[in-house]
Amino acid sequence: MLFEKFTDVVPSFWGWLNQGPLTLTIFLHTIIILPMIWLYFKEKKRLNGK
Amino acid sequence: MSQNQSVWTSIRFWRQSAAWVTGFAVILLILLTFDTIGQITMGTDADLKNGITKRVPAPTVINYHIDYKYDQKRGHEVPVIGKKEPFFGKEWSPKEAKELLHLGKLTSQAKNCMNCHTLLGNGAYYAPDLTKAWIDPKWKDMIAMTGSKTKEEAMVKFLMDPSNNATHGRRMPNLKITKDEAMGLVAFLKHMSSIDTNGFPRGFSKGVEEFKAGGTYAH
Amino acid sequence: MLTSIKNNNFKYESQKLGMMYFRVAIVLFGAQLLMGLIAAIQFLVPGFLFEVFDFSVARMVHINALVVWMLFAMIGSVYYMLPDETGIETVGIKLGKLAFWVLTAAIVVVVLVYIFIQIGPGKESTIWLINEGREYLEAPRWADIGIVVVILIFYYNVFFTFIKGRKTGIMTVMVANLLALAGLYLAGMFFTDNISIDQYWWWWVIHLWVEATWEVFVGTLAAYALVKIIGAKREIVEMWLWIEVLMLFGSGILGLGHHYFWIGTPEYWWEIGALFSSLEPVPLVAMFVHVLYDWGKEQGESGSKPAITNTPAMAWIVTNAFGNFLGAGIWGFFHTLPQVNIYTHGTQFTAAHGHLAFFGAYATILIGMMYLGIQGSVGAKRMKATFKSKMAIFLITFGVLGMTVALTIAGYEQVLIERAELGGGWDAFFTAQNLPWYVQAQVWRTIMGVVTFIGFVYLVWDLLTIGKQAQAEN
Repeated sequence: MLFEKFTDVVPSFWGWLNQGPLTLTIFLHTIIILPMIWLYFKEKKRLNGK
Repeated sequence: MSQNQSVWTSIRFWRQSAAWVTGFAVILLILLTFDTIGQITMGTDADLKNGITKRVPAPTVINYHIDYKYDQKRGHEVPVIGKKEPFFGKEWSPKEAKELLHLGKLTSQAKNCMNCHTLLGNGAYYAPDLTKAWIDPKWKDMIAMTGSKTKEEAMVKFLMDPSNNATHGRRMPNLKITKDEAMGLVAFLKHMSSIDTNGFPRGFSKGVEEFKAGGTYAH
Repeated sequence: MLTSIKNNNFKYESQKLGMMYFRVAIVLFGAQLLMGLIAAIQFLVPGFLFEVFDFSVARMVHINALVVWMLFAMIGSVYYMLPDETGIETVGIKLGKLAFWVLTAAIVVVVLVYIFIQIGPGKESTIWLINEGREYLEAPRWADIGIVVVILIFYYNVFFTFIKGRKTGIMTVMVANLLALAGLYLAGMFFTDNISIDQYWWWWVIHLWVEATWEVFVGTLAAYALVKIIGAKREIVEMWLWIEVLMLFGSGILGLGHHYFWIGTPEYWWEIGALFSSLEPVPLVAMFVHVLYDWGKEQGESGSKPAITNTPAMAWIVTNAFGNFLGAGIWGFFHTLPQVNIYTHGTQFTAAHGHLAFFGAYATILIGMMYLGIQGSVGAKRMKATFKSKMAIFLITFGVLGMTVALTIAGYEQVLIERAELGGGWDAFFTAQNLPWYVQAQVWRTIMGVVTFIGFVYLVWDLLTIGKQAQAEN
C-alpha cells in the first residue's frame, strides 16, 4: 500500500505529514530548497542589470 | 557581455542561499522540537489509571507489569503496560515514585553507567544495553543465583555487589552503590523499559532460549 | 614547538597564544591515545586494572581528552589565523592569555578528579563536583560554567577583532559559526529525570557540534590553509566555503533526526533523519574535490617551482579531505538509515565510525594547523616534510584505518549475532562478545592502536624539531 494508515502514537502536524513514502522529509526538503530558485533569479537579474 | 555572467559563480548568491537554508532549517528544527518535547514529556499517574498511552509514562509506571510485544499495525515491538504488580513489595505513591526515579537517574549519572553500558542505545559498548534491562530473561537465572524472591530484589543484590555476582570474565566493578541507590536504579531501569522506543531493540532476546538449549534442533 | 613561543618571529601576540593552545592540545592528544590503549586491553584482558582504573574511567578520559584537545587546537587555530585575516592584533590579548591559563588549570583539575575520585554518591553534589555521567559531557557543572566563561572571553576577542579589522569572507563564516558552536554547549547543562528529554538535548550538543558547526569550522580552516599554503585564489576559496556552509547546515541541522530514531521520540524522525543525514556526505565530497582541485591547479600553474610552502601541513590537509569523506561520510552513511540502524545502534559499528570520523574530519586538519603554526614561529618561507613527518602521518593514518576496519568487523559480528540472531539482551551480548571473530577483531584493534601510538611519538618528535630544521634551511 502506498499510503499507510497513521501509526504514530500521538497525532501531530508532523505525524500527519508523515503518512506515506517519505512524504514528510520530501516536503521539508522542498520548502528549504524552493526559495533558492527565487534567490537565483534575483541574482541573475542583478548581475545582468549592471 | 554582462548577459553571460553566471549566477553559479556568484559569491553573493551562495552567501544568501547559505543564510536562508541555515536559518530556515533552524526554524524547522525548533518547531519540531516543540512538538517532540510535548510528546516525550512524562505522562501523569491519571494517564496510567485511564489506560492512556504515553511515549514516556509517569514514574508510577513502576507499579505496573511491563511487557514488550509485537504490534501488527506499527510493525515492531512496543511496551505494553499491564496489570498492577507490587514493586519492592508495595505500591508507590506518585510522590514516592517520582523521588525514587530521581534518585535512580541521578545515581546512573553519578556512577557513570554510560561509559560501559548503553542507555537507549547511547553510551559505551563494553557492557549490555540497558534500554530493556528490566525485562531481560537473564534475571530469572539471577533470582536463583542471588537467592532472591523477586526480580527487583535480585537486581538490588547484583548492583550492590556486582563483582561477586558476575556471569562472565568481564565483570562489573563494585561502585559502592547503597541499597537506596540500587532501588532507585531498579526503578530507573523499569521506567526506561516502559518508554516507547519505536521498536528498539528489535526482537528483544528472541533467540536466547534456543541458543541456551543448544541450538535449533535441541528442543 | 616548545621553543616556538619564545621565538620572536611572530608579529602578533595572538599567534603566540595560538601556539600555547597547540602545546596543551598535543599533550591531551597523547593522553587520549594512552587511555584508548588501556580500554582496548581491557576488552581482551578484563581483569586488567579491574576496580583500580576501570573501563568506564579509561573510556571517559579517552573521549573527554579527545573533545578537549580538539577544542584547544580549534581555539589555537582561531587565535593563530585571526591577526592574519583581520590584519590587526587581537583586541583583548591579555584577557585571552589569562583565559588560557584558567581553562588549562580547570582541565587539569577535572582530569585529576576523573582519575582519582572517579565516581560519587547518587547526589546532586556529584554532578556538580565529580562528573556528570553523560557521555562526552562528563565535565562536572562547575567546570561547565567555567568553560562557558572562558569561551565568552574567547568569543569577545574574536568578535571585536573582526569588527575592528579587515572583514574577509572566511572570518565572516568563522564568527557566525563560532557563536552557534559556543551557544550549543548550553543545551547540555541541565539535569532531568526524563532520560528521553535528557538525550534529546544531549544530541543537540553532540550532533550539532560534530556534524554541523565543527564541520563548518573545518571548512573555514581548510579555506584559510589553502590560501596560505598553496596561494589559492581567495574568491574561489570563499565561494566554495559558502557552498559548503549551505550544504553542511542544510543537511546537518535536520540530520540530527538520525539520533532520534530510538530514544522515545516520535516516528516521524525516521524519515527526517534518514534523508537529511544521507545528504551529509555530499558537502564532504565537495570539500574533497575542492581541496584536490586547487592543489592540482596550483601545482600545474607554478611550473618547475614547488608551489607548496608547507608540505607536512598540506599532507595533513589532503588526509583531512580523504578522512572526512571516508570516516564521516561513508562510515556514517553505512548505518544512518533506520532500517539498518535498528540493528547497528549502540554496537562497535558506531565505534568504528567514531574513530575514523573524529580522526579524519578533525585530528588531521588540526595537526596541519600546528605545522602551519611552527612554520610561522620560525619565520620560514618554506617548510619541507622530514622523515619523521612522513612516518607520523603514515603510521597514524594506517593505525586509525586499521582500528576502524577491525572495529567494523567486530561491529558486523555483533550486529548479526547479538542483535539479529539472538535479539540483544544480557546473554545475547556476552555470547557475541566472546566469539572468536569478535575477539580476533579486538586483538587487531589493539595492535593498530599501538601502531597509532608509535605514529604519535614520531609526530611529537617532529613537531619539536622540524622548526629548527626549517630555520636552518631557509
